[in-house]
This record gives sequence, structure tokens and C-alpha cells, in this order.
Amino acid sequence: MILFYMMIFAFVGAFLIYFAGKSFPRIKEILAVVISFLLFLFVALLYGKDFQINYHNFLGFHLFLRINMFSWLFALTITFLGFLSIIFSLSYMKDKKNNAFYYMNMLFVNIAMLGIVLAGDLISFFIFWEIMSWSTFLLISYKKGSALPASMKYIIMSIIGSLSMLIGILYLYDLTDTTIISQLSHIIRFINKGDVIFVVILFSIAFGIKNAVIPFHNWLPPAHSEAPSPFSAILSGILIKMGVYGFLLLFYVIIGLDIIFHLTGLTIVLNVLAAITIIFPTFLAILQNDAKRLLAWSTVAQAGYIFMGITYGTELSVAGGIFHFLNHAIFKALMFLAVGAIEYRTKGIRDLNSLGGFIKKMPFTFAAMLIGAMGLIGLPLTNGFVSKWLIYKTLILNGSPFLAFAALIGTWGTILYSYKLIHNIFLGQLPAKFENIQKAPFSMKMPMMILSTIIIFFGILPGIPLQFINKIIVSFGYHPLNVSLFGIVSDSGNLNIINILAATFVIGVLIVLFFRSGRKSVRVDQYDNYAAGSFIPKEKYSYTNSFYAPLDRFLNSFLKDYIDIFYCKSAALIRHFCNGIRKIYTGYVGSYVMYILLFLAVLIFVQLNWSVF
Amino acid sequence: MDFLYNYIYYIGAFGLILIGLYILLVKHNLIKMIIGLSILETGVNLFIITLGYLDNGTAPIFSKENLESNMMVDPVPQALVLTAIVIGLAVLALALSLAIRLYDSFKTLNLKKIKEQKW
Amino acid sequence: MKEITYINPVLLIAVPLALAFIIPILKFVWEKSIKWIPVAGFLFDLIVSITLIPIVLQKNIIVKIGGTTTPFSINLVVGPAGLLLSIMISLAGFLVAIYALKYIQEGDKTKYHILFMLLLTGAIGVVLTGDIFNLFVFFEVLCISSYALVGYLGNRAGIESSIKYLIQGSIGSSLLLVGIGLIYGQYGTLNMADLAAQIKTADSISLFVPMFFMITGLGIEAAIFPLNSWLPDAHSSAPSSISAVLSGIAIEVGLYAMMRILFTIFAAESFMGFLLFLGVITLLIGEMSAFSQNNIKRMLAYSSIGQIGLIVFAFSIATASGLSGGFFQMISHTLNKALLFLATGFMIYRTGSMEISSFRGLGKKMPLTALFFTIGTFSIIGLPPFVGFASKFLIFKAALAKQELLFIILIAVIILTTVIEGAYFFRIIQTLYFKESDDKSSKQESAITALIPMFIFALLILILGIYPNWIMKFIHSAASELLNKMSYLRSVLG
Repeated sequence: MILFYMMIFAFVGAFLIYFAGKSFPRIKEILAVVISFLLFLFVALLYGKDFQINYHNFLGFHLFLRINMFSWLFALTITFLGFLSIIFSLSYMKDKKNNAFYYMNMLFVNIAMLGIVLAGDLISFFIFWEIMSWSTFLLISYKKGSALPASMKYIIMSIIGSLSMLIGILYLYDLTDTTIISQLSHIIRFINKGDVIFVVILFSIAFGIKNAVIPFHNWLPPAHSEAPSPFSAILSGILIKMGVYGFLLLFYVIIGLDIIFHLTGLTIVLNVLAAITIIFPTFLAILQNDAKRLLAWSTVAQAGYIFMGITYGTELSVAGGIFHFLNHAIFKALMFLAVGAIEYRTKGIRDLNSLGGFIKKMPFTFAAMLIGAMGLIGLPLTNGFVSKWLIYKTLILNGSPFLAFAALIGTWGTILYSYKLIHNIFLGQLPAKFENIQKAPFSMKMPMMILSTIIIFFGILPGIPLQFINKIIVSFGYHPLNVSLFGIVSDSGNLNIINILAATFVIGVLIVLFFRSGRKSVRVDQYDNYAAGSFIPKEKYSYTNSFYAPLDRFLNSFLKDYIDIFYCKSAALIRHFCNGIRKIYTGYVGSYVMYILLFLAVLIFVQLNWSVF
Repeated sequence: MDFLYNYIYYIGAFGLILIGLYILLVKHNLIKMIIGLSILETGVNLFIITLGYLDNGTAPIFSKENLESNMMVDPVPQALVLTAIVIGLAVLALALSLAIRLYDSFKTLNLKKIKEQKW
Repeated sequence: MKEITYINPVLLIAVPLALAFIIPILKFVWEKSIKWIPVAGFLFDLIVSITLIPIVLQKNIIVKIGGTTTPFSINLVVGPAGLLLSIMISLAGFLVAIYALKYIQEGDKTKYHILFMLLLTGAIGVVLTGDIFNLFVFFEVLCISSYALVGYLGNRAGIESSIKYLIQGSIGSSLLLVGIGLIYGQYGTLNMADLAAQIKTADSISLFVPMFFMITGLGIEAAIFPLNSWLPDAHSSAPSSISAVLSGIAIEVGLYAMMRILFTIFAAESFMGFLLFLGVITLLIGEMSAFSQNNIKRMLAYSSIGQIGLIVFAFSIATASGLSGGFFQMISHTLNKALLFLATGFMIYRTGSMEISSFRGLGKKMPLTALFFTIGTFSIIGLPPFVGFASKFLIFKAALAKQELLFIILIAVIILTTVIEGAYFFRIIQTLYFKESDDKSSKQESAITALIPMFIFALLILILGIYPNWIMKFIHSAASELLNKMSYLRSVLG
């Protein structure tokens, strides 16, 4: 029952924060930090446990909570990031009104996600999924103004997804007479293929919407950019990964390897969707001028990598997918937090064209952002390298050149937009109005520091997380990977970070030597670097403005988010139609009387003539 | 003629019902519509009475010594109609008082012109 | 077997009826006590109904009045289904009466309280009666008092809606009466059980025509499309406490009466397929019309149409689980819609406008009222862990258990309506909490007598949402009572 008490404790804690926060303002922050830390601790202590408990009976369905390696890894990531972003919130939310509400919802989202990964049956999975949806809605709306349409988009997509999932669950229940995951995995082989595909499609809509797979991605960019930054970190880092969790659960736990990869058509479709999800959002990210929106599009693209990994279905790719989920959670959270720190110090400016030159003012944030971007690109010695290596390798080895090419293009684009982000915020000239910008406060630095450390740590010692992932994929029914502390040994090629470390070290030494041997560099003022010291009016030349202008001109005319436009158009159409339909209530009684008599007359007429009833 | 003789009351009753519905359907004036309602109710009441009516039947009261049960009219419809008439009266009274208030507020009884509550 | 003693269910009707007519006398004696009379009356009803639950779960209670043998006496049949609704009615009556203590400030309060009691007494009568003519009479009591209450405020909207409601309602009653007459002409009895015994199943046109008349007549009160044109006007113009009762109780009672007639008397299974579509169309039209409303009460009224459509759909599945879903949805709709209207009442009172845009920032100014409103909306959309989720879940489950393509398509439509529903309800939530208002007036909560009933409704929504099993046994027996014609027959005719 420990899991159940943990959930109860967390829910009670969330309410406590709200009500305590009303009367004692300080205590809510302490409570929020303590509770989220305790949750992290609880989950960490559950390492290696594998059991399930029946905690409730809902309308005849037995609800279970369970823990195993698979859910433990996700639960740990959730609670860890939740804890860090609550710490980050301490200063980010300090001056905001109504932050008791914020902390309560923040915990709600975390608990709901924890519930999702701990759910041992599909009904409680769904219930937590919905709690997550509405608490997320409240959090995205939190900043008011333009956040409102964003959250509206989110909740509508989310309702569509969750309802189709509910239908899927009930359909599966009709076929198998159970919703308990451990039982489903045994029974599912007796179901015919068509039903399985139907269920997979229904679930995929739900998971695809959460995971922002094209064509269900359109809620994500506005929602991510409008949410409060610590929450964007959670949103991008783990919330959308609930879709990944769902896909893994559906494909590998419920349906199982031996069935899912015999549905070849399905996996091909999913792979192609993943490839599209990698390419287009990457290019859209390059065109963005809002820091958080750029990161949001990047999230869509990275979610495509993860999706590619888990739908491709070899050991390496699934391991890569899961590892990339973990890594993406870390570096994307870090980047959102870094942007959040900028936003906090500049009083809410995220426009890349009006920022610049913060490297001197906020060096720590710069370092964090740089490490995050390195992870995102997948440079060696960061964690992103290992997971991307796994995915590329399996794509190439198994003869999917097009998918591999898509992944490579994605990486190329990633470099472009990561550089744009770093350059436009931290390099170039410092606009005059930001002369007095201060460094990020400690409560913001601490989570960034921890996350940066993990990126490097996992990058150098990928064996540690890979061991956990290895256990997960073994539980899915794959052969274990041959993991060493520094990398992977496989018959087609080894990954060993030691070699890379050595190579990097050598290259680093060479570079240092090269620059040392050259002419001594001259330091110029930040404002002078455009014209190399000659006088130029400060405001006139800001080369952070319209970065990648040629690319922008080239792509902008035809690269639009057509899917979003399509959704918006159809929403407008539905609205129009709804507006028309209510005109049948004309306001004149005579027409109402006519409806009544027509109804009666038609009934009698139909029955007299055709006796249908 | 036999048909007419046997069913005259039913025809009358449904005639009244149809007239009532017709008035409700086509008339705009509230008072006329209320009259239509009234006619409709009368038709329904007549219809129900007719169900229990017996030619040359007597009241269902055991007043005479040798009264056969098939000589009596059915008392149930009469009880029903009595209730229905009372209900009809209540509705009529309410409708008329509302009509007065309606006229006070809108200065018209033409329901085509009173369309503030719509859509 | 030992005879169990219980309170005579006649008192469920007699006591509020008597109290209703004591009110005008009390007016001269002790005017201040008038508003407490409905509270007392429905508290009594609530308690009595709850004490009857264990007895009714074993067998139906039959009460005979004015006669000796069953077909010839007027009787009340208190089965699980009737009792379930009577509990809902007395609960809603009790809580709304408490709400009205402070809420009803203008107009002739004596009339309000009399009519309010009559309305709900009529509703209890409809659900407990075992005789179609009594059903008609109680129905008229319900209808006439609701016509009057809709126009209670005496403003333009109220009068206009009231007269329109009256015209359509009266046509409905006349059609119902014609149907009753046609049935009586053929079978010579008005007792539902007796009729049910004589009509095995509806098969000939001579049965269908009276059935159609009765369906149309009751359908007007039950607000089935296309008979529901009165509803948005009436529900939006009435005082909010009355809207709560009309939406939460009156239309459901109409629907119950309709289903009782369809299932018990006619057993018209073939008609259910048609009602399935009608239910979904009602749902679709209701939600779509609600979508672009700016007037909050009109929006809630259209949403009621939608919910009724869902209930009709659930009942028309005509399986035990479908009926359970329908009953559960009735309960959840009563709780949700009553809560929403009650919260809206004081929000309108505060802002002086029914426009949704005028509710900006109310989340700050009336935090508790807004919170209760939010709980109501979450529940009505069907988000866990609120009761609306449990009911929608049951309905989906029942529909999918049929394993037919038709049901999957209909469910897809229902999903679409839920999405629309979500869109407009979430828009209100955003208006309440996330839009700044212009006026900087201070925080002022609703009256405490309004907060208590809202709190109880919200609590019930939450508790039943988490522990729906607590009432499932009751609901199952209600569903099987309605579905199983023969057991009903046996219990009444002996």
C-alpha cells in the first residue's frame, strides 16, 4: 500500500499548500519544496521493487498501482524534474499573485503524471491522465492574456485524445474482459488483428496528441511558450513524454513484441510520421523569433526522435528512444529554465530580436544554456550524443536510409536553431536597456547546475542510465544490450566514451596550442564587435536582428504550420455551423408548435406507411 | 350514415382538437392562441367523455333496484374529465393573467413581434 | 416472514402538498417562517425516502388509496427507480430551498414558496405513481407551477418565456391526455401494471398511435429535440433557484415518465432504436447551440438539452448497464446542473448581468462560488474524479458493450459534443479566473445560506465521483426494475 499512501500524501499535500498558502504565505513555498522532495525520495527508495496493489474499486473495475523498472525510471524523472522546477519557481513566482494556486497545480500535475506511470490498470491510467489534462490547462492559462487561446487549444486537443483513449480502453475491455495491464498482456494474443489495430489507432490518437506527433502537434508551440517557464520545463521535459510512456506501454507491455511488429503497415506509418515530426518542426524552429516558441518547436522535433526510436522496434532503437526521452527531459528542462531565468530578469522579454549580449551579465545561465544546447545537438561527451548514436546506428544498420537521413537533417537543423538561440540571447551586443541586468538568483542557478552536471555525467558515463534502460527493454522481451560503464559493445560497432574523451582531449589541446601559437587576441568592447572597433550607432546595428534572414526568406513563403491552419479553419467552421444551428429556435411560438406537430405527424405517418417500429 | 351516427362524437372531438391545433399553428395573437388552447382542451375532454358514453345510459349510481351494469355510462372518464377541466381552467387563468402582463410589458399581443428570447 | 414497518410513502406527497397550502395561512400568522416551510418539507421527504431504501431494495412498496383491489384503486408504486428519483428531488428541493432563503428577495415570496413546493410535489407524484392518469395530474401540477415560476420575476424575459412555455406545455398535456384516452378506450384501465399485463409488447398501430401521442406529450417536458424549444427561454428567464430545479429535476422527471411508459407499458423495443438517434441529435443540437452563447444561463439551459440527449441515449441502449448509465447520468446531471445554476445565480446577482464577459475576475471576488462553479463544470464535462466522469464512463461502457458499428459511430458523435462542451465550459473557467476585470471592487462572497447548498452539491459530486460504488447497487436495482416489465407486474398485481 506504500504507493497508495504516497499518492494520498501527495494529494493532501497539494491541498495543504493551497490552504496554508492562503493564511501563511511563506509556508506554501517550503511545503511545496518539501513535498516534492519527499516524493522524489520515496520514488528513489522504491528502486528495484516490482509489485502491484489493488487500491480502489471503481464501478466494478479494480484499480491497481504498480511499480517496476519501467515505471520507476519514468517516476524518478518526473519527481526529480518536478522538484527542480519547483525550486526554480521559488524566485520566478515570487512576485506573482496567487502563487498558492500555482504551487498546488504544479504538484497536481506531478502527482497525476506519477499516477500515470504507476497505474497498474488502464482505468486508473485514464483517470490520472485526465487529472493531468485539466491541471495542465489551469497552469497554462496562468499567465492570462495570450495564454488563454493556447490553453484552450491544449485542452480541446487533450479532450479529443483522452476520450478516444477511453473508447479504446472500453473496447479492449469488451474484448478481453479486463483492464489490468498485467492480465491484458496475456490475453491480447487471442484477439484478432483488426481489433488490435483499431485499439492501437484509438490509443495512438491520445498518445500522439500528448507526444505532439504530427499531425497532432499544434497545441504544443503556443502552450509551451505561454506557460510559466518552470512549468514549460515540466511540460516539455516530461508531460509530453507521457505520450512516450503510453506508446511504450501499449506496444511493448500490453500488445507485446511478437504481435506489434507483425502489423507491418502500422509500424511503417508510425515511422514515417516520426520522420515528418523530426524534419518539419526543426525547420519551423529555425524560423521562430520567440525563445520559448523556438524551444517548443524543438521539443516537437525531439519528440519525433523519441517516437522514431520506440516505433522502430529494434533493441538499440527502443533503448535509444527511452534514453533520448531521459536526456531530452534533462536538457530541454535545462534550456527552458535558462530562458526562464532570462525572462525573469528582463521582466518577461523572450523576443530573440531584442535580446543579445547577456554572456557578460549572466555567465552562469549562458554556461547552462550552452551545455543544454550541446546535449540537444548531441555533441560527444553530452548525454544527447549517446541516445542519438543509438538511434542513428540502428536506422542505418537495419537499412532504413531515408529515416536515417531524416534524423540527420533534423540534427543539422538542430545545430542551426540552437546556435540562433544562444547567439541571439548571449552573444552580440547588449541592448542599452539591459545594462543593469542582474545574475540569476541562486534558486534558479541550483536546478540549472544540477541539470547541467547530469548532462555531462550521463554523457561521460552513459552506462549508468543504460543499465536501467537495459532492464526495461529486457522486460519488454528484447535481448539485453551489452552495456559497459562507458558505452555499448555490439557486434556492429562499439561506443566507448573513453575513446571520445581521449579524442576530445587531444583536439582540445591542439586547439589551445593553435591559438596560443597565433597572434594574441585583442579584447574589444561588446558593442564594437560588429564593426571591429570603428564607430557605429548602437541601436542601428543589432546583428541579432533577423538572424538567418536568407533561410527565413527562402522557407517562410511555403513552410507554414499547415496542420494548425487546417485545425483553426475547421474550428472556425464548426463555430460557424454551431451558430447557424441554434437559429432553429426562432423565438416565434408558431414555429415551435409546428415542430411539435410535425414530430407527432411524422411519427404516425412513418409508422402507418412503413411500420418501422 | 351509420358510420356518422356511431362516430359523430369522435369526429366532433377530433375536429375540435384539430381546430385548436390549427389556431395554435397559424394565429399570432396571444388571445386567439389561448382560445385555441381552450378549444383543444375541450376537444380532448369531449373525446374522453365519449369513450365512456353509452346511448340511453344512466348515471352510474345505484339508485334503482334493477340496474344492469351495462346500462351505466363508464364513470372513470367522467372523473378524468372533471380533473382535466379543472386543470384546463387553471392553465387558462394563468395564461390570461400572463397575457395581461405581456401586454403591459410589450404593448402588443402579437407573438410574431415578441421575439426577444430566441436562439 | 416478518412484516417490516415503514413510513407510508403517501406522506412523501401528502406532507409537502399540505405544507404548500399551509403557507398562505401562515402568512397571516407568522410571515417570517414561510421560507422555512419548503426546507422542512423536503428535509422530511429526504429522510423518509432514505429510510425507505432498504425496504424498496427488497421489494416494491405498493400503496392503495380509494379502492380495494389493485387495478381499480389509485395506487403508488415505490420501486427503486421511483425512489431514486424521489431522493434526488427531495435532496435538490431541500438544498435549493435553503439557497432560496436569501436568494429570493423580490416579488411575492409566499407565492414563490407555494409554487416551489407544488412543483416538486408534482415531480415526486410523477415518479411514485402507478397510474397513468395520476401521472397526468401530477404532471400538470408540476407544469403549471413551473409556468408560473418562470414568470415569477415579472420582467419582460420572464413573461415572454412563461407564455411560450405555457402554450407548448399545454399542447403537450393535451396530447398526453389524448394518448391516455386512446389507451383507456382500448383497455378500460389506467393502472400501469394492469395495462402492462394486457399489452405484451407494442405491435399494432392501435398501440403505436397512443404511444406516439404520449411520447410527444411527455417529450415536450422531457425536452427532447425537436420538442424542446421552450427550454432555453424558460430556464434562462426563471430565477436561478428555479432554473436549478427545472434543469435538474423537471426535465428528468419528464424523461423518467416517458421511459416508464415506454419500458413498462409498451415495452417498445423497436422504438428504442429511433430514440437512440433522437438522443444523439438532441445532444448534438443542445451542445452546438450552447457553444456560441454569451448569456450564461442560456448556455447552461442548452447544455441541459445536451445532457438530456445523453440520458435518452443511455436509456435507449435498453440494456441493464445502459439504464444504469442513464440513471447515473440523471443523478450526475441533477447535481451538476443544480450546482451550476445556484452558483450562477449569485454570480449574476453580483455582477448584475448574465453576459459571460461580465464574469471576468470573479474567481478573485467570489472565490468559493467560483470554485464550486468550476467543480460543476469539470464534472459536467466528465473529468475525473468528479461524478460526471463516472456517469459518462458507464454510458460509454454500456454502448460499447453492444459491440456494434452503429454504437461506435454514435459514440464518435458524442465525443464531438463533449469536445464542444469542453470548449465552452473551459472558456467560462478562463473568464472567471484568468481575465482581469475592470472594476476593482472588493471580495464579497455569496450569502452563507447559498454557499452551504453549493458546498453540499460539490461534496456529493466529488464523493460520488470517487466512490460511485456506494450507489451502484441502488442504481442497478432501479435499472432492472425499469427494464424488467414482468417483475414490476408481479409486484403490483400480486
